[in-house]
Amino acid sequence: MKRRTFLQLSGMAAAGSALAGCRKGNEKLIPFLVPPEDGATPGIADWYASACRQCPAGCGILVKVSAGRARKVEGNPRHPINRGKLCPRGQSLVQELYHPDRLRTPLKRSGPRGSGQFVQISWEEALATLADRLRPLAPGDAGKSAVLWTPPLQGYLAELVARFGQGVGRLQHLAWEPFAPEWRRQSLYGHQGLIDYDIENTQYLVSFGADFIDSHLSPVRFNYAFGRMRQERPTVRGRFTYVGPRLSLTAASADRWLPARPGTEWTIAMAMAKRLLPQVEPRVLAAAGLDTAELARLTEPYSVAVVAELTGVRATDIEAAVAKLVAIRPALVIAGEMLVAQRNGPEALRAVELLNLLLGSVNTPGGVYLTRPEAPGNDSSLAELQQTLATLQAGNCDLLLLQGVNPTYNLPPGFGFTEALAQVPLVVSCATFLDDTVRFADLVLPDHANLESWGEAIPSAGARGHTVGLLQGVVKPLHDSRSFPDLLIALAQTLGGATGAAVSEKSFLEGLQQRHAAGNPARWNELLAQGGIFPAEAAPPEPLRQVSLGRPELPPAADADPDFPLQLQIYPSSAFHDGHGAALPWLQQLPDPMTTAVWGSWLEINPQTAARLGIAHGDLVEVGSAAGTVQLPAFLYPGIRPEVVATPLGQGHQGLGRYADGRGVNPLQLSSAPEGGGGFPVPGTIPVRVRRLSEAGELVTAGHPEGSYRRELLGI
Amino acid sequence: MKKKLLIAILLLPLLAAVIGLVVLYHLPLDLEDRAPSQPIAFSHRQHVGEMAIDCRFCHRSVDVSAIAGIPDVDLCRACHLFIAVDRPEITRLAEFWQQNQPIPWERLYRIPDHTYFPHMMHLNAGLECGGCHGAVETMAVTRRVVATKMGWCLNCHREHGASIDCWTCHR
Repeated sequence: MKRRTFLQLSGMAAAGSALAGCRKGNEKLIPFLVPPEDGATPGIADWYASACRQCPAGCGILVKVSAGRARKVEGNPRHPINRGKLCPRGQSLVQELYHPDRLRTPLKRSGPRGSGQFVQISWEEALATLADRLRPLAPGDAGKSAVLWTPPLQGYLAELVARFGQGVGRLQHLAWEPFAPEWRRQSLYGHQGLIDYDIENTQYLVSFGADFIDSHLSPVRFNYAFGRMRQERPTVRGRFTYVGPRLSLTAASADRWLPARPGTEWTIAMAMAKRLLPQVEPRVLAAAGLDTAELARLTEPYSVAVVAELTGVRATDIEAAVAKLVAIRPALVIAGEMLVAQRNGPEALRAVELLNLLLGSVNTPGGVYLTRPEAPGNDSSLAELQQTLATLQAGNCDLLLLQGVNPTYNLPPGFGFTEALAQVPLVVSCATFLDDTVRFADLVLPDHANLESWGEAIPSAGARGHTVGLLQGVVKPLHDSRSFPDLLIALAQTLGGATGAAVSEKSFLEGLQQRHAAGNPARWNELLAQGGIFPAEAAPPEPLRQVSLGRPELPPAADADPDFPLQLQIYPSSAFHDGHGAALPWLQQLPDPMTTAVWGSWLEINPQTAARLGIAHGDLVEVGSAAGTVQLPAFLYPGIRPEVVATPLGQGHQGLGRYADGRGVNPLQLSSAPEGGGGFPVPGTIPVRVRRLSEAGELVTAGHPEGSYRRELLGI
Repeated sequence: MKKKLLIAILLLPLLAAVIGLVVLYHLPLDLEDRAPSQPIAFSHRQHVGEMAIDCRFCHRSVDVSAIAGIPDVDLCRACHLFIAVDRPEITRLAEFWQQNQPIPWERLYRIPDHTYFPHMMHLNAGLECGGCHGAVETMAVTRRVVATKMGWCLNCHREHGASIDCWTCHR
């Protein structure tokens, strides 16, 4: 460089930095136009109790609100489920509230279906359109029907929907979402009520595919209990064994991991049952309607050596786990989603749960507690879902009203949901985001966010008495949205007649108040302040009735299909649950606990298998099944069986806001038909083949040297 | 000799430039930051000095909260529905109200991030508003009179025997 150029450049740099100092540095101070009615003092926050509806666990929350804005969510210490703790999904509720892509006004489709073109309309027009479709369904008239599809509902809302349906006439209610605890219907206990595992008081815990630290039923509750089981007792540290093909976060927390071939986990339970049986008094079994001799015959073939052969786990490891279970009391066995989703799932579930009966761990300290629910749940089974889809496909449905479900994303293409939608003249969606399914709707009705809603959150697991968390609208709704129950009430008023008579409340809040504290405002305020109605003591447990034995079949040999030699396991992501959490950037940025991957999907593959297929860490691979192919970055993961590959569910949305749209892969596309057991739409494993495409997998992990700062890969 | 003179002549402007920059650095030239033009030319001299309105009539949360609070538009309007209705600045106030827009005031004082400054504790300890904010009753255009830097905080804390523990402010 010449001296002259150097001087010119330094002069310019100096002038530039001097100019930067001339910038105006003041921020703005924006006052209220009119102060909030409750006289909010700036800088001083109020904490309101409410409940989280991000998953069916129903944790209690406290929300910090100052100057009319929700700022922080924490766990409610008085709530018996989460006792002041909270998971990241609950923490992210503020991002749902303030999300830039929330639906703000009612919309009407203006382009072809699925194009995502909508125009704004008024609530009056939306309600009138909907009412016109609902009027001809009155009982007595012949004609087509309508379907209302929601997640499983409880308490007052369930009752309101039932009354609304009766008033309207031919309105069928389908209450189904992918990870609802509906699968527990298949349980040995024949029990759909409250279930609670007394993990904190047990001494030996065995989990068969129940990832209770990641996602199983009530993860915050069970995490808390697990911590106490390990460290709270001065002389005892509870032991824990995990059975399942993949090292989940739960498996990684265990003392012993038995990586059984998928579909054979239950044989280990059989080996345990065989060894336990001589200890059990016949009258205990007889009380449950079981015959000792029959059980002995059933478990006879499953010696440790045979089971080792079947599961592909070392015999010494199985022997150690069996010996512990025989010796240590109290002991508890939990069976979960990863077991039930197998093709032999329901039978395997019962085979595993038999162990608790043999251990004497039903309704005893350190065991499993069953409590009769206050009101039966209204969850629909997989069979009912399939019937409804057949009704839609046959063109016998005039109106499909969806609320809080995303079947386009959560059902594999084999279910034919998209084709069924084409047969329905009017599809109405009540949602907070323009998600995969809402794109196909004709009429979109914006729903309140969790922090704007009133309602109940009634846990179906993790409690031993009727627990009702109260949802409190902690802030005024930000947009022109309406909560789903208030939408039904407004519709009933528009319809009048039988529906108007059946649903006569003025608002959902008023009905809620009436239900829990009729004519007693002080009591209502007290309930709201503590966050709900919590039982002072445990309800009497429900005794076991006649149980039916599980007789699972063995899965086909691992190499049965030479075209698809590997087994793909799809597991619920601990951040996104069934996928709806993917809209929130905090959850996207949350590193997966086992791989530290962020903002995307990946394929976990055993290093041995990867070496055989010539795949390196971070390579782009193609995963193909009979149904189709997807492309994923490979993550070399020693914690998985060599013949199994795994990928989380939750990414790969079309829609659901700017942070989720088009990011990652929806592995359900690889599932061919509605198969799989236990009410799961996804088979526990899908036969696949994997091949390497290139080295550009673009895997982003927090553990990577460049970390999650590789923003060019994130694209935001 | 001639060479030395040449070097001196060359160095002199450089020295002058350095001295000039140092002087510039210390001169209070950020006038626009310290006394910015506000969306409405509000005069503290008129309200506090001439009308003798108490600070707390408008900055209502100053003795109960960390934040003093600026009056909501409704409060301004409550008086100016009747007082000085036809002055141009009051017409602008009315316009904000009619358009449902809050007034975007320029902020004068800002405490750096990760620092906790509670107004109420200082006030309840007997400090005067003017101790930090200056004689606002004389200011037609309100200006910032102190730079909110850590040394300034510490000097005052030492002077009054207040705690200078890190946790006192950084929490």
